[in-house]
Amino acid sequence: MIVHTINKVSALGLCDNLIGEDDKIILLEDGVYLGLQSRPFLVFAIRCDVDARGLSGLLAAQTKSIDYNDFVHLCAEADKVCSWF
Amino acid sequence: MSSILFVFSRPPHGSINAQEGLDALMMGSAFTTCSVLFVGNGLMQLVSGQFTDDLGTKNFSLSFGALKDYGVTRIACSEPDLVAWGLNKDDFFIEVEPLNAAGMQAFVQSHDKVLNF
Amino acid sequence: MNFAIVVHGAPYSSEACLSALKFARAALDSGHSINRVFFYHDGVHTANSLIAPPQDETAISEQWQEFGIGNNIELVACIASCLRRGVLDETEADRYEKSGSNLAPGFTISGLGQLIDASINADRVVTFGV
Repeated sequence: MIVHTINKVSALGLCDNLIGEDDKIILLEDGVYLGLQSRPFLVFAIRCDVDARGLSGLLAAQTKSIDYNDFVHLCAEADKVCSWF
Repeated sequence: MSSILFVFSRPPHGSINAQEGLDALMMGSAFTTCSVLFVGNGLMQLVSGQFTDDLGTKNFSLSFGALKDYGVTRIACSEPDLVAWGLNKDDFFIEVEPLNAAGMQAFVQSHDKVLNF
Repeated sequence: MNFAIVVHGAPYSSEACLSALKFARAALDSGHSINRVFFYHDGVHTANSLIAPPQDETAISEQWQEFGIGNNIELVACIASCLRRGVLDETEADRYEKSGSNLAPGFTISGLGQLIDASINADRVVTFGV
């Protein structure tokens, strides 16, 4: 399982062919705007980035807010981390 | 020893980032098994005929020719991005292995670490 | 778990520098260790001691210094990136006959080998890019 971090909306286009079924996606910084869009799978969004941008009431149902401890935990559980920016 | 996959997504010359990414790859290949995957605008680093004298940036693309000598085992690119840009392998000055989505996922899986540039 | 953290962004110019600091703190708080933090590309600006942000803004570079020194974590700024961007320790300032040095406390300047070494030896590498 790979954790993919995405820090801007345009970075999704770099990695959408590389994300496997079991992989996990963490949205951070400007990448949290992707959390407004519905997806058929769960994505994680860094809470302080969501809150800074006023998005907490606008997130799609499949977007779960997490903190940095959760971010660290997900990276520790993964085989490796790919960072897209 | 850990193998490292370098993923290059930046075009050349618009910033120093692509060149510094290549510097990291060349250093990496001195230490351990390294491969490289070009995605998105990163494919543009491989386009033939880059002439930088008038621009005044370094034509670092010349260094890609030495990657095999440095022991970089696989040089691959995203096939979907190749198609999206209307490019083919003949537009590049080094031999590159186009990979489809499944191929890219397997390529990433097969390395211990990923460094994105 | 042992983490290597790579920072590509300068303080304030991108969020990368601050995100990386939050991650680094969380990693230690969660009981993990940090192999090294490697600053590359514009990330080396974090190591500039001359940064003087407004009082009401987060002092990002200073917080990195405190984090590195307080937790005995290596903060390494890439020498090639530093030279291009004017972040110099005394040795490099003398070598290039510059008027002064400006490497912040808690940081060292070293080569890309440190990035590769950290990437090989850490369990996980996380990059905060721009």
